[in-house]
Amino acid sequence: MNRVTLRKTIVACAAMAAALLIVIVLMSLLGSEPLPVRASLCALASFGTSACGLTQDQFDILFQIRLPRILLAAAVGGSLATAGAGYQALLRNPLAEPYLLGISNGAAVGTMIALVFFGAIEWTRPILAFSGALLATLAVYRLARGRAGATPERLILAGVIVTTFLSSVIVFVTVLMDATRIRSFTFWLLGDLSGTSKALLPLTIVITIAGAVALTLHARSLNLLMLGERDAFDLGVEVGRVRIVVFLVASLLVGSSVAASGSVGYVGLVVPHLARLSLGSDNRISIPAAALGGALFVIVADTVARTVIAPRELPVGAITALIGAPLFIYLLRRA
Amino acid sequence: MAVVVCLALLSACTPGRTANEGPRREITDDAGRRVSIPVKVDRVISLAPNLTEIVFAVGAGDRLVGRTSYCDYPPEAKKIPAVGDTIHPNLEPIIALKPQVVLVSTASQLEVFTQQLKGQNIAVFVTDPHDLEGVFRSIEQIGEIVGEKDKANQLVQTLQERTSAVQQAVKYEPLVKVFYQASGEPLYTAGRDSFVTDLIRRAGGASVTADVPGAWPKFSNESALAARPEAIILPTGGSMGAANSNVAEALRQSPAVLQGHVYKINDDHLARPGPRLVDGLEEIARALHPDAFAR
Repeated sequence: MNRVTLRKTIVACAAMAAALLIVIVLMSLLGSEPLPVRASLCALASFGTSACGLTQDQFDILFQIRLPRILLAAAVGGSLATAGAGYQALLRNPLAEPYLLGISNGAAVGTMIALVFFGAIEWTRPILAFSGALLATLAVYRLARGRAGATPERLILAGVIVTTFLSSVIVFVTVLMDATRIRSFTFWLLGDLSGTSKALLPLTIVITIAGAVALTLHARSLNLLMLGERDAFDLGVEVGRVRIVVFLVASLLVGSSVAASGSVGYVGLVVPHLARLSLGSDNRISIPAAALGGALFVIVADTVARTVIAPRELPVGAITALIGAPLFIYLLRRA
Repeated sequence: MAVVVCLALLSACTPGRTANEGPRREITDDAGRRVSIPVKVDRVISLAPNLTEIVFAVGAGDRLVGRTSYCDYPPEAKKIPAVGDTIHPNLEPIIALKPQVVLVSTASQLEVFTQQLKGQNIAVFVTDPHDLEGVFRSIEQIGEIVGEKDKANQLVQTLQERTSAVQQAVKYEPLVKVFYQASGEPLYTAGRDSFVTDLIRRAGGASVTADVPGAWPKFSNESALAARPEAIILPTGGSMGAANSNVAEALRQSPAVLQGHVYKINDDHLARPGPRLVDGLEEIARALHPDAFAR
């Protein structure tokens, strides 16, 4: 990495990381229950070691409910945006997105199987979600690759096929399930962060950071791949290996976030696009920027979801889709 | 040409349902529709467990020709052919069973369904109770439909007496702050429009979500924690099996949990607005105010 790019990356990422920290603090002050601002800030600054005059309930709301949920939102957003940026670079298609390609649905089917057959064993969810995401990725990739290579239209079409097929699998499973569990599933399928599992939160965060770092380390190869696979190969990129790495890492990211929160749509589309728009299409900058931006986006979207009709709640996926779908149409018209 | 043939075939299928001819009357249902129903009804299909229970309770179980796969009470109901479940009723077997009336719970996703049955001259009667009185009204309406008015009135009178007995017993008891956990993850509760909220009120409780709009809203974890409920009701067991048998994480430090006031009550007595809802009422009241019933 030359010095100019390195500096630009560091400055952009530092600025976004600072913004992320500020947003985490600000959004933890908002919720269906009002908390005293000064005392909450004081307690947050002490990392929960001091209650700063908050009552036990207020302290629990802040540290047991809101903060874990915000951190999960950050991890889910970071994961999905990073995965989206990875797919877009590898497939040379700005519309490649985990949700639209059916990869989130693959992870959702995996999670459902885990819930139905191993309901009590939480760690089976991310593992089966990862497997589902990987299988869906491979299916889309195989379907999209014609003799002329993967054209953008063919890729989206393959995504539609995989998405609708897996949707019908999901419908099939829900019909077989008992009625009482269906409603919570339909909510979860739209993407919902309210069921934040403390057991899975650290894992989800670790996977997000590791995945973003792994893809950033392959950013140079991805930059060359954007010239075309043959040119990249001639320039010394191990195309096959990079493809496997991106597929594995992106599936892991999508799998862990879907296992934790269901299918939050459009994050992987909106955020990398905005990152490229504002910072250029160099993956060395746009991938880490997408990771941080995805975290910001989902934190804010989920804050809207949990406050706008409080004390009732909306699924966060409804908010991200509300923003993402119009942008998708805009991108489609420009493409 | 093909279109003409199709239309001819379609129209050839429409006439000729003798069972549904003869004198009719109009009864207004909970969707506010005036439903035209034959005076003598001997073929009924129920599309919800609570309605099946009502039909049997008014003594018209022998006139029930179809039910859903969720309808498991009374046990005799299971001998009746199932026509899908409440969420996905199956139109073909419904029509093949030649019912005169189809009983439906709540008005959701009903438009197309009603139109298709109407085309077959089958009446669709909608029930949508929001409180115990509404459930009593359902019982009376269904009694009237199947020609068991006296039996229905008798049943309602018995249920009303049991209800008053409960309310009388808890009359001077202190109100207990109740949280009703319809589901823990994600957290759902009973809102303003739910008959469960009415039940809790009559049982000497004050639901902390009584003013939340909707019947079954998804509820904020932190608001549940901040509400500090003194008792938590978990509808579980029955046809729910082991589902919903744990208190949501946000409520694990609530006064209700710390004092051991978490009450599991058979979901079939709380989620089905039928005669057994009064069992549910009695169970809630006894749980909240054991002393009032020990005397």
